[in-house]
Amino acid sequence: MAKGKITYSTIRGDSPGYYALVCVLGALSLAGFGSAFMMFSQGHYITGMTNAVPWGLPIVIAIYLIGLSAGSLVLSALSSVFGKTEFKAFSRMASLLAALLMISALISIVLDWGKPERILVPFFSINPRSMFSLNGMLYSAYITICFVYLWAMFNEKEKLVKIIGFTAVFWAVLVHSGTGAIFGFVGARELFHSPLLPPSFIAAALSSGTALMIMVLYFTFRFTGRKLDEELLRRLGFYLAMFIIVVAYFVFIENITRSYWPSNYAMQKFLLLSGNKYSLIFWLGMVGCGLVFPFVILINPATGKSVRWILVASALVVTGVLAERYTIVIPGQVLPLEIFPGMNVTSDFQDGQINDYSISLAETLYGLGLTSLVFFLYVLALKFFELMPEEAVIASDIPDTSGTGKN
Amino acid sequence: MSELDRRIFLKLGAAAVIGTTLAPGITLFQAFAQDETEGRTSSKDRWGMVIDTNKCTADCTECTAACRTENNVPLFGDPRYDGHWIRKVTVTPKTDGAHSRSLPLLCNHCEHPPCQHVCPVAATFTREDGIVMIDKHRCIGCRYCMIACPYKARTFVFKNTEKWSNPDVPKRGKGVVEKCTFCAHRIDKGQIPSCVEACNKSGEKAMVFGNLNDPNSEIVQYIREHAPKGLREDLGLEPKVFYKGI
Repeated sequence: MAKGKITYSTIRGDSPGYYALVCVLGALSLAGFGSAFMMFSQGHYITGMTNAVPWGLPIVIAIYLIGLSAGSLVLSALSSVFGKTEFKAFSRMASLLAALLMISALISIVLDWGKPERILVPFFSINPRSMFSLNGMLYSAYITICFVYLWAMFNEKEKLVKIIGFTAVFWAVLVHSGTGAIFGFVGARELFHSPLLPPSFIAAALSSGTALMIMVLYFTFRFTGRKLDEELLRRLGFYLAMFIIVVAYFVFIENITRSYWPSNYAMQKFLLLSGNKYSLIFWLGMVGCGLVFPFVILINPATGKSVRWILVASALVVTGVLAERYTIVIPGQVLPLEIFPGMNVTSDFQDGQINDYSISLAETLYGLGLTSLVFFLYVLALKFFELMPEEAVIASDIPDTSGTGKN
Repeated sequence: MSELDRRIFLKLGAAAVIGTTLAPGITLFQAFAQDETEGRTSSKDRWGMVIDTNKCTADCTECTAACRTENNVPLFGDPRYDGHWIRKVTVTPKTDGAHSRSLPLLCNHCEHPPCQHVCPVAATFTREDGIVMIDKHRCIGCRYCMIACPYKARTFVFKNTEKWSNPDVPKRGKGVVEKCTFCAHRIDKGQIPSCVEACNKSGEKAMVFGNLNDPNSEIVQYIREHAPKGLREDLGLEPKVFYKGI
C-alpha cells in the first residue's frame, strides 16, 4: 500500500439513533428466538409446513443468508486476492458480515429442526454421503476462516491475509456449490434435480452479496458521518450488473431446458404460467426484482451513475434473490410427487394434488428475527471493534481498472 | 503479480486441484463402503411385499386401520399433519376408458434408500434383512429424508399425541420423522406385518409378504409367476414393494 495507510476506528455509538437501532434490531431478534421457542415447545404445526411441504421459510432464509454471506466474503477478498486495492477499506466490515450471516444461517437451520436440543448429534454421527452432513463441516470451517481472516487483518499480517483470502474464495465456492447440491442432488423431485443448481447458487450469492454490501456500506457510512467515495459504490454497482447477467443466464437455461421436454410441461406451466403466487414470485420477485429492473437501472447511463438509483437496484436484488431462494425451495415441494406417471392420483394424504404452502406468523417472525440478528451483532461489533475505516476514498495513484471509472 | 504472489497462487491452486479431485473420491468411497445392499445376497432374510391391485378394493381400509393401531400412528384430525405409514391411494390412468384401481402405498424399503443417503446424522439405516429403519433417538428432525423420498412414505410428528394403543411399539415424540418399519418388531417375533395380517383376515387377501432371499417362499413364487412391478423403477432405487396390475 503505497498510498496513505487506512485507519480503522470504532464508531462512537452514543447517539439516540444508534441506541434506537440497537433496540429495534435486538427486539426483532428476540421475537425470532421467541418464535423458534414456540416451534420447539408447540411443534411445527404452528408453521406453514405440512407433511407435503416439510421445508418452509426457515430453510429459505438459511440458504438466503448463506448466499449473502458468500458474496460478502468474496467482496472482502477483492483487494487481497483480485488486486482491487480500492476496496481494501471494506475488507474488515465485509468479512465480519460474512461470518455473522453464516452464523445466523446455521442458527436458522438448527432451530428449524424438530429436535434442536440434539445439536451435538451431527458432530458425532456423520454421514459422508449426506449433503447436510458435508455442508455442516463446510459451514463451520467457513466461519472459522472468516474469523482467522479478520484476525489476520486486525494484526496486519499481509501475507497471511493474502493466503486466507485465497482460501476464503475457494471455500466460498465450495460452500455455495454444497448448498446448491442439497437440492440439486435430490433425484426424487424434478424441480430440484439439476446440476445447474450449485453454479447458479454461486452466481446468486455474488449478486445478492454485492447488493447487500452496497446498501450496508452506504448506510453505515452515512449514519456515522464518515466519508465514502461514491465512485466505489458505482464500481460495485458495475460488478452487480455483471453478476445479474450470470444469474439471468442460469435461470434462462434451466427453465428453457425444462420447458422443452413434454414430461415437464405441467410442472413448467404451474411455475411460469399459472398466475398463482408461485409464478408471481417467479416473475415479479425473482425475474423482475432480482434481474430485469435492477439491470436496467444499472446499465442505463441516466440512473446507473446515481448512488440513489444504485441503492434502489441493490434493494431490488436483495429482495429478488430472496424470491429466487423461495422459488428453489417451495414450488418443488408444492407440486405433487410423480409416484404414478401417467395416472391421476387421489388419496386422503394429498397425493396427486397441489399442496399449498403459506408462511405463518411464527415463521415470519423467525425469518425477520434471524435476519435482524445479523445486523444487531454487526451494529454492536462496529462499536467495540475497529472495523470501520475513517474514510473510504480512491487514492489518486491507483490505476482505474473497473471499466466504469471514467464516469 | 510479484514472484512471491505467483508462487503462493500456484501452490494454493495445486492444493485446491488435488483437494477437489481427492475429496469426493474419498467421501464416496466411504459412503459405498457402508453399502446398504450388502445383505441382499449375504443375509438369510430379505423382506419384501407384493400387492395385487386386482384384488384390492377402494372401500377397504383394513390395512391402514390395522397399521394405525399396531404402530400408534398419530391422527390429529387435520390431513396436513396426520401420520401415514400406509395409505390407500386411488389411481386412474389418464387415457380414456381405463378404470381406476385402489392400492395401499407404504415405505418401499428401497435397496438404495435416498432417505438414508441424505440423512445427515445416519439416523436412517438399513437392517441386515433389508428393512429401512429410523433411530428416533438420533433423528434431529431436519426432514431432509422427506424431501428425498419419491414415495412420500415419511411423515413428521408435528405435535405430541396422548393416544398410544400398542405398548410394544415405542412412542415417538414430536419433532422426529417416522415411517413404516414392515412391523420389524413383529417380524423379529416370527410374525408378519399387521397390514398383511389384516388384509388376509378381514380384507381382500391382496397382500403377500415374505422372504425374497428364500427361493421357496410364497412371495418369490408369486413374483416369478406374475412379474409384478415396483413403483418408479426408473429411479433405480430397487423398491421391495411390488404391485401387480398397474
